Amino acid sequence: MNAANSSQWLQPAFNDPVLDAQTSFRSALKALAEPGLAQPLNRALALENLHPATYALCLAFLDGDTPLWLAPRFDTPAIRANLAFHCGCPIIAERELALFALLDDSELGDLSAFDNGSERYPDQSCTLLIQLDALSTGAALRWRGPGIKDVRCVELPLPAAFWQQRQARSAFPRGLDAFFAAGDQVIGLPRSTRVLVNAEEAA
Amino acid sequence: MNRNLLHSNPHVATRQRWMGVLARAGGQLAAYESALREAEYRLIRAPEIGMALVRGRMGGTGSPFNLGEMSVTRCVVRLADGRTGYSYVAGRDKQHAELAALADAHLQGAEQSHWLSRLIEPLEAAQQAQQAAKAAETATTQVEFFTLVRGED
Repeated sequence: MNAANSSQWLQPAFNDPVLDAQTSFRSALKALAEPGLAQPLNRALALENLHPATYALCLAFLDGDTPLWLAPRFDTPAIRANLAFHCGCPIIAERELALFALLDDSELGDLSAFDNGSERYPDQSCTLLIQLDALSTGAALRWRGPGIKDVRCVELPLPAAFWQQRQARSAFPRGLDAFFAAGDQVIGLPRSTRVLVNAEEAA
Repeated sequence: MNRNLLHSNPHVATRQRWMGVLARAGGQLAAYESALREAEYRLIRAPEIGMALVRGRMGGTGSPFNLGEMSVTRCVVRLADGRTGYSYVAGRDKQHAELAALADAHLQGAEQSHWLSRLIEPLEAAQQAQQAAKAAETATTQVEFFTLVRGED
């Protein structure tokens, strides 16, 4: 992309690139360490239809070594120009090669193409950055696993298809990690968390 | 600047020329600070210091080698009317990088010739005079070697 053409879309990113990136990364780590607990993530401004938390995740995670797959809803000239300028990440069309994927709730029905790592390198899986309208307007599901004492009720507004897809791609240690962002908050869902969808599983 | 390094597109080559002059201007840009900051602007990328690897070529094959790293400061600004100015300057002078980016933004607008005559041409003349003085000073130390003809044709 020609810089002369894309520069009209550019916006400022973090006020303090070092401190804000560290703070945002810390929030993301805490979100994964305590799955289901919302963490504040308000160091960035909204970028077009990217919420502040989603954009802050992008700014903290992405760089030249992290190919990104963009959902069509976020594939706009402004978002492309700003991600290319501030993160320098390659934006790719093949889901299989992506290390990060930026998704909205309409893309959650098919996660089959994203890389869920290998037995030897499960850490090289694709991390899903999912933007939702809100974090607590869905049906209450019970989450269990590392980072959760007993059980935690989380009310993410997600389609049932997402949980089926996640289950289908999960073969520990392989699997998909996800961040759910809305407004200026983020919730983490690592592959190690078990989500009790049906009542009989809880028993 | 070596003419061979300039871009074939004349618009790009003109911008390369002024960006080169701005990058070499250093503290001289401070004299134009109030004029450059007159227009409203905001920082897209605040001045930040980083490192760039400098590579050279040597040997019969001209294969590249890593000479070392140098510090570089870069900055991007946006004027209120949407023009975006970029700068990459050697060293750690954030003020210099910000003013150079502002000047680059101004030079892309309608009053380009005004800024060229007011800012770039005096700076370029000063830089060329400085370079010529340095070359003249160095020339006095030059030693001429004379070799006798050795009978080769």
